[in-house]
Amino acid sequence: MPVIRLEGVTKTYITGEVTATALSQITLDIEVGEFTAIVGPSGSGKTTLLQLMGCLDRPDSGVIQINGRDVTRLEADQRADLRREQIGFIFQFFALIPVLSAYENVELPLLLNDVDADERRRRVTELLDAVGLADKANRRPDQLSGGEQQRVAIARALAPRPSLVLADEPTANLDTENGRQVMQIMQRLNEQTGTAFVFATHDPRVVSFARRVIRLRDGRVVDDGVQVPEATSWAADDYGMDSPGSCSLSFC
Amino acid sequence: MAWRRLWVIGARDLMRNRRRTALSLIAVALGMALLMVLNGLVQGALEDALQYSIRYQTGHVQVRKDSYEEEKLSLKWKDLLEEPEALAARAQALPEVKYAAPVLWLNGIVNTSDDSAGVRVFGIDVSSPVYQPIRDATTAGAFLTADDRNGILIGKRLADELGVDVGRKIVLDIVDASGRAQESTFIIRGLFTTGLPFYDQNSIFLPIAKAQAFAGTGDRASAVVVMLRHADQADKVTAALQGPGLKVLTWKDLNAILLATARVGLSFYYILDLIVMLIVAVIIANTLLMAVFERVREIGILSALGMRSAQIRIMFLLEAILLGMAGILAGAMVGSIGVAYLAHVGLAIGDVATVGGGAYLMGTRMYARFMPGLFAGLGAATLFVVVLAALYPAWFASRLEPVEALRAL
Repeated sequence: MPVIRLEGVTKTYITGEVTATALSQITLDIEVGEFTAIVGPSGSGKTTLLQLMGCLDRPDSGVIQINGRDVTRLEADQRADLRREQIGFIFQFFALIPVLSAYENVELPLLLNDVDADERRRRVTELLDAVGLADKANRRPDQLSGGEQQRVAIARALAPRPSLVLADEPTANLDTENGRQVMQIMQRLNEQTGTAFVFATHDPRVVSFARRVIRLRDGRVVDDGVQVPEATSWAADDYGMDSPGSCSLSFC
Repeated sequence: MAWRRLWVIGARDLMRNRRRTALSLIAVALGMALLMVLNGLVQGALEDALQYSIRYQTGHVQVRKDSYEEEKLSLKWKDLLEEPEALAARAQALPEVKYAAPVLWLNGIVNTSDDSAGVRVFGIDVSSPVYQPIRDATTAGAFLTADDRNGILIGKRLADELGVDVGRKIVLDIVDASGRAQESTFIIRGLFTTGLPFYDQNSIFLPIAKAQAFAGTGDRASAVVVMLRHADQADKVTAALQGPGLKVLTWKDLNAILLATARVGLSFYYILDLIVMLIVAVIIANTLLMAVFERVREIGILSALGMRSAQIRIMFLLEAILLGMAGILAGAMVGSIGVAYLAHVGLAIGDVATVGGGAYLMGTRMYARFMPGLFAGLGAATLFVVVLAALYPAWFASRLEPVEALRAL
């Protein structure tokens, strides 16, 4: 069973008298453990597709299933419950809660999921260790670099053990080195946890990490295929030595 | 759910924009302090007026003939108590009664060679502790003695108005029990200053025997004034003193106008309270609404993380509660200082107290009263209003669509 299935999904935005079709008749499956890039130029519908996959919005038509459950018409709170339990998000602008420490940010989704204190402590510690930030657990976002903040966001997205992590331009605001590290961490955690990752990007270096690439143009899928990492890409680099964090997660 | 974390987020969010939080907190604190001072002052003034009235005029209980007309200070024999001493003794025997003494009230005019003034004459049992407050208030000369046949005690304020002093003679005119005008000359034995301008300007005291002889009432009296150990025993004592042809009135009956005015006055203050609370509410609503607008992005993140709309609402309400409680506590401290100051030093109101007449005995200063129950109630009401004011911003935050909120990213 796919983690997420979209069948004929269409989304249209109406602004005043202007109607813009963001997505048109999208049909695709994301399987367990996939590491998939959604690529396309600006305005191609990448973000809208991620928002619909993440139940942040509802399609105008079509069906979305998550782990076999039709989630197309769920109410706002039902969608919130679904996001809380099954979907992790990584945003372009790091999107941490500024008043909470790195530890507390990662812990937040676990609190929302009523995970008990011991288990929370174990998971948060392991995840921060996995993203190489165990020593900065008590720092607030404004005391962390952009790359570190995004690594905290990755840890937070994985904390509730979602079946799907959605990342919208996760490296867009990072320099080359930090972007590479973030992608390496995402890739490693995808392999270790089996959680499906779908990330939107138009950076070819980021795309090179993906095992599957879905290309969008004008709200339609124009290509969907498997790729192997290119020899010159970030993904081909040996990240085992200099990638922050390298522990394996005991709860995976 | 993560209540503790929501409190933490609320508290830390308040610390983010410290200046705005501080200003809002000051607004709540000032509102609370103002409520305490206003209410403490008006409650103190009303309570004092009631206590002054009971102490100097009405007592806790009065026994009169049922035909007695207070407005006229009737001196007709049929309207007066026939054996006031016996009645006073009967009252005195009750365990709840502290003191009881007869009194004869007359309307009179005091004259000097230059001036005259209308007064209420109290013919009193000068040895009774009922009149200890007047004895204590005698600031010049001496208090009266029972066998003094032409001594009189007048208020310092009246003396100043008439230009007389201790030892001087004044002439008192009255209409006696038979309706005939009577005039007699008295020597001022002493001057009293209760601090109540109306009272000090309009009251004079004679020994009751002299007043009875002067007014031709025999040994009759207008009333027996009873002071109780506790004011709330008035109904019990009233029942015990009832008798044929008698009318027994409690301090509530005797101060009905004051109490009714107090109720109206307090209603006016409740409106003032409401206005102050509404101002606080508007400030809180504004603060929180600004906080919501500033944190649209975070609301989107929290929503994406799976926080339900009710939890987002609660988060902002908790923030309001924190701000409200901190403001109320700070206000309670400031307000306590203000009330303590006004309880000790008072607020000068000058001679305005003479305007209300005898129904409202007020001093030249209003003193606040510390009323923990009332202040706690005001604090709770303020907190309630703060939470009410926070409902809209909280609702607004919870209604934000995650997609819209995240667009702020």
